[in-house]
Amino acid sequence: MIELLLENKELIKILYALAIMFICAFIVLKTDRLFQLSLHKGIRYFRNAFFFYGVGFFIRYILSPYLPNYFFIFSLFEFFLVTAGFFLLYSLLWKNFEDPNKKSVSSLFNPKIFIFYLMSAVIVLLDYFWQTYYFLFLSQIIIFVIVGAISYSKYLQDKVKHKFMKQYSFAMVLSLSAWVLNALASLWFSWNSLVIIIVYLLNVIIFLLFLYGVLKFTRQR
Amino acid sequence: MTRKRERLEVIKDVLESVRANRKIKPTRLLYASNLSPQMFKEYINELIEKEFIKLEIDDDKKSAKQEKRFFVLTKKGFEFLQEYKIIEGFVQNFGL
Repeated sequence: MIELLLENKELIKILYALAIMFICAFIVLKTDRLFQLSLHKGIRYFRNAFFFYGVGFFIRYILSPYLPNYFFIFSLFEFFLVTAGFFLLYSLLWKNFEDPNKKSVSSLFNPKIFIFYLMSAVIVLLDYFWQTYYFLFLSQIIIFVIVGAISYSKYLQDKVKHKFMKQYSFAMVLSLSAWVLNALASLWFSWNSLVIIIVYLLNVIIFLLFLYGVLKFTRQR
Repeated sequence: MTRKRERLEVIKDVLESVRANRKIKPTRLLYASNLSPQMFKEYINELIEKEFIKLEIDDDKKSAKQEKRFFVLTKKGFEFLQEYKIIEGFVQNFGL
């Protein structure tokens, strides 16, 4: 089985990207009505995160054969990935920085969000100039430690104990594990195919967990 | 100390007041909404803009002085109220 997977690495890569893109598109579309009705800023930032993940995977795995420069493609992928992480983090924190009662003009083009774009661009440039992925790994590990801690503390403070908050924290622990494993694969395992497949599998599970949450809580009662 | 209502909660309260009364005069809705006149105006404009409520004028009255204006819930407003629980559940479960 493992040998079969290793032999069809390219096919696995495409299937993996398609699965992630499909899940992201589904999450964005499925939450559209909730957002249109409520104009809730948290829902908006949450959707932005999955929109950016989807675009990132599309560029990296689907568009890459048609684009000339590998580093350019990877830099774009990295930019979308890091920004998506920032959006996910900000979807949990936005109430500390914005007035929930004020309507915002745009969630993609406002000064606060430009800070994320700037930070993502700096991370991408650092990796580009050093020709490494270390800054990507480091940034993602830091982001998911913070998101995991915030989501778990929200779960602990939640008097009603909403079930998905616990799963959210679990998904963040998995995300953190996937990024640590990814970093290890780069640093010590020279991109060992088996380790990479485990990372793919972990990522699919994480996105499926979010999809499950979205499906569960957007269903009509 | 009472908790400050969030935007979504205020919208739900205003719409529920309109639904409970079937049609409601602006002044009565202002009292029922428990908002300042300035905030009330902002919310009402938003709700009209989003087509959650509409202003109806009662033409039956003979003189213009007697003309009465009412807010009524639209289909979209009714749908919002039905989906409010879902929105609330989603926001709370995802910590948004």
